[in-house]
Amino acid sequence: MSRNRIVGILVVAAVALATGFLVAGQVKSQLLTPSNQLARYQALVRSVQDLEKTNQGSRAKIASLRAEIDALEGAAAQQSATTRALKGQVADLRAHAGLTAIHGPGVEVDLGNGIPAAQQDGQLGYLINYQDVQDVVNFLFAHGAEGVSVNGRRITPLSAFSGSAGQVVIDQGPPLTSPIKVRSVGDRNRMAAALDDASALPDLRDREIRFQIVLTIIGSPDLKLPAYDSSLQVPHVSTN
Amino acid sequence: MSAPTRRSAPARRRSGRAIEIWLIALLVALVATVQIRSQAEVERSLVGTDTTTLAFLIDDLHRANDALSAETADLAQRKTSLQSGGSSAADQELAAEANRLRAIEGLVPVHGPGLVMVVDASGLQALDLQDALNNLAAAGAEAIGVNDHRVAVGVPILQTTSGVTIDGAAVTPPWTISVIGDANRLSIAADLMTQQMRADRRVRTATYRVQADVAIQSVITARPYVYANGS
Repeated sequence: MSRNRIVGILVVAAVALATGFLVAGQVKSQLLTPSNQLARYQALVRSVQDLEKTNQGSRAKIASLRAEIDALEGAAAQQSATTRALKGQVADLRAHAGLTAIHGPGVEVDLGNGIPAAQQDGQLGYLINYQDVQDVVNFLFAHGAEGVSVNGRRITPLSAFSGSAGQVVIDQGPPLTSPIKVRSVGDRNRMAAALDDASALPDLRDREIRFQIVLTIIGSPDLKLPAYDSSLQVPHVSTN
Repeated sequence: MSAPTRRSAPARRRSGRAIEIWLIALLVALVATVQIRSQAEVERSLVGTDTTTLAFLIDDLHRANDALSAETADLAQRKTSLQSGGSSAADQELAAEANRLRAIEGLVPVHGPGLVMVVDASGLQALDLQDALNNLAAAGAEAIGVNDHRVAVGVPILQTTSGVTIDGAAVTPPWTISVIGDANRLSIAADLMTQQMRADRRVRTATYRVQADVAIQSVITARPYVYANGS
């Protein structure tokens, strides 16, 4: 048997051995399961992406329809003093409901995920969650805010916060994740002074130390808040 | 000119064996690559979001998109009405809109189907009340009153040395929370909330009852903007 033939057989044997180990490893770790998991997961992700696309389209359509209605009402108001007076009342109500964009002095509170603490597996305190955002929004309204938005989503009198770890869902919008920017227009000095108080937002401040979550406060002479672009229906409420 | 050289039989065999070895090596590399990439993709995509969370997210997005569709249909109908009706149609639309917005902002008394929750406890904080109200809002609450104080996002609920205040007024337990909205959705949330509250040692009782007509007479005082300007 030639030397080359022996080498060839040895190489084939080594490759066969490696293949055997791989196949055994594959079977042992149930490699088909991750493949199925991946397919299922990808299907779910695709569903979420499709629904978010529809959501975005609907919100753009709502914003466009509201602008068209405003223009039509404006044209009607040119023709009648009664309509003009009503239009003025509704404009004020719409502004307070968050249906029109506003700007003015204010404060931006930036929130960001921290670092998971070592030896504290399963603790999600390093993630910014919906209750953090809810706390900041409530705090700002209680200390001089006239309007608030979160990552470009305007808060209304009926706004609700929900979500799971690390995700923040506001009203009918898609989930938001860190970094979160809470912008408020109102009494800038009062809001800034309240936020500077070390006793303000105790849970966030505690996690700022334990998990290094980001809590940054920036004052501004002119912040812009967008109009609310989702549903504001109250089908179960009657006023008479 | 010499004839083209032909490879000998042993040389052909050696060449065939080399191809076989390369094919096997290629196959092994392929399997290993697919495997590693597949697992890496699973790990990367699953970071922070499990399938259960995604399923809940899909459910929420479906509900949100349904609400957005209803709003779109309503706005389209209002637009058509304005396009065809002149200033009298505009007056009607604007009066209805003003009425609706006053209800949303808590400026007028309201009534409708919903539920009344009663929580008797000692030591509950403003944050507990804020969380409870947010849970009800997330379940579709359209108007809320607590012990005859109207609440909405923007109304300050604060912790003071003497207890919880709503817009500066003390709210002592028991808290009677009146809610208007879809009674089915609200009662699912109320069920969970009262169960959780009863497990809290500070809570003496936590109950709720669904009502066909809940009346909320209290209102919020309108505050004009001082700092904000329209764009």
